Amino acid sequence: MGKHNKYLPIVPVIAGYAALFATGLFVPGKWQLISQLAFYCALGQAFNMFMGMTGYVDFGYVAFMGVGTYGMAISIWGLYDKGLGVWLIIIGLLMAALFSTLLSLAVGAVALRLRGAYFAIATIGVNEGFRYLIEGARIWNGADGIIFSRHMKTAFGKEMAGIISTFWADVLIFAVAIGAALMTLIYMRNKVGYALTALREDEDAAKVMGINVTRYKIIAFITSAIFAGLLGATAWALKLSYVYPDDVFEIHYTVEAIIIVLLGGAGTLLGPIVGGLIYGLTKYYLAITLPGLQLLIFAPIIIVIITMFPEGIVGMLRTRVQGTVLEKYII
Amino acid sequence: MIADQLAGNLIQGIILGGVYGMATMGLSLIFGVLRIVNVGHGAFIMVGAFVALWMFKSLGIIPLVAIPVAMVIGMALGLLFYYTVMKKILKAPEMATLLATFSLGVILEETMKQIFTSESWGYNWSLGKLDLGVTVLPYTKILAFGGSIIIALLLYMWFNKTRAGMAMRSVVEDDEGARVCGINVDWIYALSFSLGIGLTVTSGVLLTMFIPVGINPYMGGSYTLKAFVIAVLGGLSSPYGAFFGGLVFGLIENGTYTLFAIIPGAEPFALTRFFSFVMLLVILLVRPTGILKAK
Amino acid sequence: MALLKLENVTKRFGGLVAVDDISLEITHGEIMAIVGPNGAGKTTLFNLINGVYPLDEGRIFFEDLDVTNYPAYKRAHLGIGRTFQIPRPFASASVLENIAIGAMFGAQGSEINVNTAMEMADHYIDLIGLKDHRDKPAGGLTPIEKKMVELARALAMKPRLLLMDEAMAGMNPKDIDDMVDFIRHIRDTEGIAIVSMVEHIMRAVARLAERVLVMHQGAKLVDEPTQEALTDPRVIEVYLGHPPEEKDA
Repeated sequence: MGKHNKYLPIVPVIAGYAALFATGLFVPGKWQLISQLAFYCALGQAFNMFMGMTGYVDFGYVAFMGVGTYGMAISIWGLYDKGLGVWLIIIGLLMAALFSTLLSLAVGAVALRLRGAYFAIATIGVNEGFRYLIEGARIWNGADGIIFSRHMKTAFGKEMAGIISTFWADVLIFAVAIGAALMTLIYMRNKVGYALTALREDEDAAKVMGINVTRYKIIAFITSAIFAGLLGATAWALKLSYVYPDDVFEIHYTVEAIIIVLLGGAGTLLGPIVGGLIYGLTKYYLAITLPGLQLLIFAPIIIVIITMFPEGIVGMLRTRVQGTVLEKYII
Repeated sequence: MIADQLAGNLIQGIILGGVYGMATMGLSLIFGVLRIVNVGHGAFIMVGAFVALWMFKSLGIIPLVAIPVAMVIGMALGLLFYYTVMKKILKAPEMATLLATFSLGVILEETMKQIFTSESWGYNWSLGKLDLGVTVLPYTKILAFGGSIIIALLLYMWFNKTRAGMAMRSVVEDDEGARVCGINVDWIYALSFSLGIGLTVTSGVLLTMFIPVGINPYMGGSYTLKAFVIAVLGGLSSPYGAFFGGLVFGLIENGTYTLFAIIPGAEPFALTRFFSFVMLLVILLVRPTGILKAK
Repeated sequence: MALLKLENVTKRFGGLVAVDDISLEITHGEIMAIVGPNGAGKTTLFNLINGVYPLDEGRIFFEDLDVTNYPAYKRAHLGIGRTFQIPRPFASASVLENIAIGAMFGAQGSEINVNTAMEMADHYIDLIGLKDHRDKPAGGLTPIEKKMVELARALAMKPRLLLMDEAMAGMNPKDIDDMVDFIRHIRDTEGIAIVSMVEHIMRAVARLAERVLVMHQGAKLVDEPTQEALTDPRVIEVYLGHPPEEKDA
């Protein structure tokens, strides 16, 4: 098995996102939908890096998206009149990454020392807690949020601001998705990935094998958080030009992330794409036919997956292609 | 004057805490016996709240009668969920039970949303108030507190005087050992889960006797967090610990609310909830980890 | 310098004293058996040496280094390896990956990369004769195969001390003999000290071990060279009930 073989699985990933992107560009009127689908894939890709690879459930995950959104919002709101052009967005992304890194370090320092169920308990309150901190102490305008559409227009000109929020923000969402997928593959092919697999399967045995499980959990946790932050910065801040605490700390995004990862296959590389597409499309059509019912339909599906198909779609596919040429591409 | 205020706060805190504690007993029972963390805990409380609401508004039946009804409904739900879902994933990795209970909670919330919409409801059952000088207590709150104590006592008798209760205790200690002694552990699991859910739903009724407004399908979320703080305070597997943890928590929550209300510019409601979360993290950090890890 | 030294090690679980004031020394390359009925505290002792449980009293030294407070993974880096009574390979990972994980994170882990680890794993797969199962998920193997994978994984860690917990449980006499030979072979080629924990397979103890430690109710009963231990009247009285099986060569 030569070195060049190791990264073959990125091929179907790139192909998938390229196809999605192309569909959006060339099929008229579908860009909105495609952008939504890309969002769900990116969400899944990012969340998979933690829940999928470690088997720990972070119920407060959306908080990382929330602070990322604030990172971008604050950058634009604060620096819009400095004539920075595209650097404004880059700074915003860096701030988003910084904020989510800081929050994940803070939460992780406490929560990651804890075993599975205790960890989940500790994270249950994270998004609630953080949201109430912002509202309660009136940080960043508290419950009033930050509206920066005017700032966007001043910084980029009215027309460009519009193009950013309807096109470039979506392109960045794709970038986040692909970036997260690439990072996942890099982890999988290096010691990090093996350590995570080991600790997911059997944490005590992993420790005895010499794996510093806390360290690897932290690595996965922070990486996953950074991508969440970048997603919030692009899909929420850049697209909408506003941020409110009770929008961006909404637990149902965590629920959606869970659905997507489980459906596609937790811990697989392609799972989040498959899960994101299926979930996104189903939700889109449900919104037309049976509005407000998507969680009611998907929650039992989570249960069905957990009890009957825990490896998810790509997980099962992966077993099926064992021994064929496809084995090298589908992981 | 200050002593009066403190005394008043103390009483309010304890009354509140008793109900909170009762609301957490089911969580601790389920974890103690089955080693399952019911992440959907708050949703079951919400169901109880709606039982009380519906019985009062549609049938004109007072919440006191709703208590046993809620218990029956809760136990039925518990049995249903145990046999359809939980039993299948007892041996699965932790992630499975966490996600399953979470999803059950979501199912309950969404179902209730379909029936009752996401509006907030309330009902008005007033029996007058008791004036204690230092503070004023509505009789409904006193009844809620009394109900909590009675249920806690009944549970105590259950664990110590009935065969099933004692069998439950032995399963908490050592399920292999219990099996070897001829105890039908699967049935104990089912009964414990059922009882735990029953207690949780019942506590929803008691909570509405305390706070008869703001009843909506998503009200459970904040109670889940509080319940976890209380459960961890009291030692996650002990229902009695949960009760006393509840008392402590009620006192602290009441106290911090009063404190935050004094600070200018702060929003006491939001900050109190933030504080609960900090408490949770602190307790989780300080208590030894790994000793009560899930099997 | 002893490879491993335990000084007055004690572990309690609530009111139960699982390991009671045990002191022992193991020298490099020695093969020792720990023997005792179920509940004697053997697995707990292993868990203490490994770092899975913290001690209540006493100290543990590995080559004179005080490792009493070292977490499990650090002890693995120093060179303490372990197999479990009920094998615990990483089920979803392949046999190759399982063993490679041992190499990647074991005593030499910081010096080897993933590719080298895979090569080492191939070597061990040949050693244990599971080449046909190389890429299969470890979860699908038979219990004996799982045992071998776990053993190979532990060996890939390049330990200097290997703790084997009931390695021969569930085997028939022929397999036991093979395993005994295999363990001796490992010791001879890799210079590992082996502590084998055994409940009742005296055939293995008699052929394999140079020294025997008998545990009873958490405490050390005897610690003697094999033949003396197995014929010691205290041991026979408390545990064996009859002399060791003499069907070995």
